[in-house]
Amino acid sequence: MIKASLRGLLQRKLRLSLALIAIVLSVGFLAGSLVLSDTLNARFGSLFSTINANVAVVVQPKDPQAVDPVRLTDDQLRTLSEVDGVRAVSPDVSAQGVIPFRSDDGEPVSADAMLGFGVDGKDDPLGLVELREGSWPQAADEVTVTAYTAELARVKRGDSLKVYVPVLNEPRTFKVVGVAGYSGGRDSLAGESVVMFQQAYAQETFYGATGRYAGASFAADEGVSDTVLKQRIAEKLPSGFKALTGEESSEEQSAQIGVVFDFIKYILIGFAVLAAVVGVFLIFNTFNIIVAQRTRELALLRALGASWGQVAGSVLLEALVVSVLGATLGLAIGAGLGAWVEHMLIGEFELPSAGIIVKPITVVLAYALGVLVTLIAAFVPAVRASSVPPVAAMRDVVRPDKSLVALSVVGAVLAVPGLALVLTGALADMGGTAFLVLLAGAVLLFVGTLLLSPLLARPLVRGLGALIGRGSAGKLGVRNAVRNPRRTAVTAAAIIIGVTVIGTAATVVQSFKTSLEDIMGDSIGVEVMIQASVTAAPDGRQGFNPKALDQVRAIPGVKEAAAWHFDALNVSVANQPSAFGIFATDVGQASRMFPMDAVDGSIRTLAAQELVVDDNTAETLKLKAGDRTPVVIGGVTRDYTVVGVYKTTPIILGILVGLPAVEDFPGPLAFQGFVSLNEGVDAAPVVAQIEKIMKDYPGVQVGDRQSYVEQATASYDLLLTAVEWLLIVALVIAVLGILNTLLLSIVERTRELGLVRAVGLSRGGLVWMVTVESVLITVFGVALGLALGVGLGAAFTKALITIEFASVIAIPWLDLLQYLAIAVVAGIAAAVLPARIAARLNVLEAISYE
Amino acid sequence: MTSQVSDAPAAGAGAAARAADLWKVYGSGEAQVIALRGVNVELERGRFTAIMGPSGSGKSTLMHCLAGLDTATRGQISVGDTALTGLDDGGLTRLRREKVGFIFQQFNLLPTLTAEENILLPLAIAGRKPDPEWYRTVITTVGLADRLTHRPSQLSGGQQQRVACARALVSRPEVIFADEPTGNLDSRSGAEILNFLRRSVTEHGQTIVMVTHDANAASHADRVIFLADGQIVDELTAPTADAVLDRIKRLDAAPVAGAAE
Ligand SMILES: Nc1ncnc2c1ncn2[C@@H]1O[C@H](COP(=O)(O)OP(=O)(O)OP(=O)(O)O)[C@@H](O)[C@H]1O
Ligand SMILES: [Mg+2]
Repeated sequence: MIKASLRGLLQRKLRLSLALIAIVLSVGFLAGSLVLSDTLNARFGSLFSTINANVAVVVQPKDPQAVDPVRLTDDQLRTLSEVDGVRAVSPDVSAQGVIPFRSDDGEPVSADAMLGFGVDGKDDPLGLVELREGSWPQAADEVTVTAYTAELARVKRGDSLKVYVPVLNEPRTFKVVGVAGYSGGRDSLAGESVVMFQQAYAQETFYGATGRYAGASFAADEGVSDTVLKQRIAEKLPSGFKALTGEESSEEQSAQIGVVFDFIKYILIGFAVLAAVVGVFLIFNTFNIIVAQRTRELALLRALGASWGQVAGSVLLEALVVSVLGATLGLAIGAGLGAWVEHMLIGEFELPSAGIIVKPITVVLAYALGVLVTLIAAFVPAVRASSVPPVAAMRDVVRPDKSLVALSVVGAVLAVPGLALVLTGALADMGGTAFLVLLAGAVLLFVGTLLLSPLLARPLVRGLGALIGRGSAGKLGVRNAVRNPRRTAVTAAAIIIGVTVIGTAATVVQSFKTSLEDIMGDSIGVEVMIQASVTAAPDGRQGFNPKALDQVRAIPGVKEAAAWHFDALNVSVANQPSAFGIFATDVGQASRMFPMDAVDGSIRTLAAQELVVDDNTAETLKLKAGDRTPVVIGGVTRDYTVVGVYKTTPIILGILVGLPAVEDFPGPLAFQGFVSLNEGVDAAPVVAQIEKIMKDYPGVQVGDRQSYVEQATASYDLLLTAVEWLLIVALVIAVLGILNTLLLSIVERTRELGLVRAVGLSRGGLVWMVTVESVLITVFGVALGLALGVGLGAAFTKALITIEFASVIAIPWLDLLQYLAIAVVAGIAAAVLPARIAARLNVLEAISYE
Repeated sequence: MTSQVSDAPAAGAGAAARAADLWKVYGSGEAQVIALRGVNVELERGRFTAIMGPSGSGKSTLMHCLAGLDTATRGQISVGDTALTGLDDGGLTRLRREKVGFIFQQFNLLPTLTAEENILLPLAIAGRKPDPEWYRTVITTVGLADRLTHRPSQLSGGQQQRVACARALVSRPEVIFADEPTGNLDSRSGAEILNFLRRSVTEHGQTIVMVTHDANAASHADRVIFLADGQIVDELTAPTADAVLDRIKRLDAAPVAGAAE
């Protein structure tokens, strides 16, 4: 029995290989995502274990992100270093964003991390950093750099080096007195640039006073374990500090970095989920087909005494074998994919790889997904197989297609309330809850439509068929496509799913972009914008010195220049954390540059402890003009007065305070700058001049209005690209599904094909017939998917308009047309192989085919 | 007819299968077809029975019902001492496994298995081991010893049918049902199969029921039952080919008595 089903497996290689690909894809993406994050973690893990190689214990602030983090004093450091078992201490005086400039062209260098250290003029007691030539810095204007940094900045010992020091907010020039490297002869650990300052100078510059340390690393005496030393140090620890073993510290640091790459992991998981869902349909279809073809064989087995359980089991066994094979291949391909993506992400970094990491849990999850997906999909076909009556071995038993009524009723029961919810969410003014209602409605409507699709298949495909089904061959193709609406619908399901998702996303993104362009075009007085690039939540410690705008104002043709400060770290208003952060600017000036219509109170330049807020946020926080409310910025709580409430627009929203509030911000740097020009002034030369001014602030970008729109929508474009890739994955699987269905039809209708050929249909006619069927199935899926997708996209946009996040619903016709074209091509591609097989049939043999 | 009893139950020791007042109705309303109208038949153990009759007379239907492949609309059926009426799928499956064997006109073998694997399939399904001595006897009787590793596609029609016979015999069922086993074969291969079936009845006491259109084939049987329009209209014991032909001619000439009832 087992032998019989395994033998059969080999005979159905082609058909099963399609199901196999579906499994490989979904398992591949899942495994890829897991391997990616584990491989990344291993790479960073090996980095930090190098850094912490001789480190037994690390002492650091509990909250390093705090506005004013705690520092170790000289006394505290001495107490800790006198703890029994400490062999050596390396105090930590460091800052990030210390950027050297190249000596030849004056451009800032770019490295994967840009660090500044304060060193005490002696060799590193932990033996990680070694002096190669020259000396350690002994004076405030001296620096020592790592060999990699010297290479990047094109300097050698004795040269002068311009360095941007973030806390000073401006570049200074130093003399390079030495070049250092790492133990083991490495020039850098991970492609970082390092500038080492005299310790006292660094302390004063970074921390505002000498004799302060951010923390320290300790090496242990022979025979003292890390954990023991950690406990001893913990007893003497000043408040606000924590002690970790070297190993714990490495884990913590690599975990923090891993988070940065999480989004790619989630995209891959998205692919895996989509491939799995679509794969279920494909596998379902494949096994249904196989069961239909094997009716006689299964009936024979039943006649010979096989129980229904044995027959169902033989189908499930077949599914199991395919799934295990698919999962194995998927795992291998996924490991390759994960390693490749990891290489693409950080392969350029000077960070040595720790090899491809495939953890046991990855293997377990890969097989679980593959087996689960396949068995779920093969369950119904297996039950169907077991219900083949034994008489079918001897005579054709027509098993009537189950009526579509039950399926359609369930579909309607889901789709109708789904549609009602979508409409309610889109049209009723419910604020944020609208999106939950919409989402619930969208899911119901979507599932309902999928269930209704067999019912819709007949009329829709007929209608579409009238357009392309010319000639007798075409007509036959149309007839074949509507012959088994259930099968047509299941085949098209993969396309419906993919196209609905992309249709929704494309419509929302297009609407959002158009809205933004509308507003920018109409009512904005901003011609040039300056934008700091952010690597962490901005809080005033990244960006540019607002004083630089004085130089901008001096450029001929410039009307106004406004600095915007932004703090998104631990800010709260009316006792609620502010998710959008707090902006500080000259609000009077802002209202001249941006559309800010007052709906309550007045919109004007603010004094200290005054704020304005958009109407949506005001409603959420229950604020109105004249209210007083507590505001926390930079850890300081003050009572602010609400001066005015303005109407929300897609470009200006949130809580705005006046420039005096910047005092409380963690850093004094501006995050954005907006520049308006006099009538008739060309923006391009002004942009060029501002770029020159901003050159001292690495990472700050300058652009015209168009580039602002592009930048504002860039993240949405990224999202759309990700979704387009999703569509491609769905389409690939869909093509396999169509191929599958067509192959089946050809085998099933071999006699029929022979007959039409015998009565005079040409080879070309036969090819056309198969192609028409394929394209109709595809276009049916695309049409349904686009209708759903655009509808849902419009509904979501309508809800966005209600909360002033967008202004118009824009349908991306061009993109949609493109998707349709791609689908038609996919449909034609899917027909190639089956059409060739059909055309090659020998007429006589086909007619007498059993 | 003397039968040499060996390892099967003795002839006459009760019926191997019987049907009482068996009705089979297909469809309903306009499309209703009455395939069997109150058939009463008893098939003795250790004998070879042929069923004949014009096309559409209900021969296959009768066989399917007797074998538990199809369910009767009305009436009682039993195979050995098992009553089929009211058996659920599990019961019918067990019956097919233990008590009946089949030979069909076509599509007898699984194309993916070798001849040997096909022969042993019913035992494999039931999870039983073949009796090696009996297996060898069967193989030599059907003359397949050198063809065992071949696939059905590598065998001639006659050889395929012999494999099917071997498969039916190897589990030594209470009854073997054969529906036109020689229908697709030339006269020589057909004769081989018939001789072979005859011998398994004579030498091993196997019970066989065979549907056929061929008077020559029917002459190999111990008894011939004639069906017409869903009823048994005549029967013949120890038939010769001429006697059978003669009977058929007579039946064709005189419309069946009671057919209009
Ligand atoms: N599944 C079915 N549905 C409806 N009618 C059927 C079905 N199977 C058989 N019949 C009808 O029952 C009657 C008996 O059919 P059966 O197959 O038993 O005839 P038969 O004697 O075996 O004929 P043949 O010699 O041609 O094989 C016929 O009229 C046939 O049309
Ligand atoms: Mg028949």
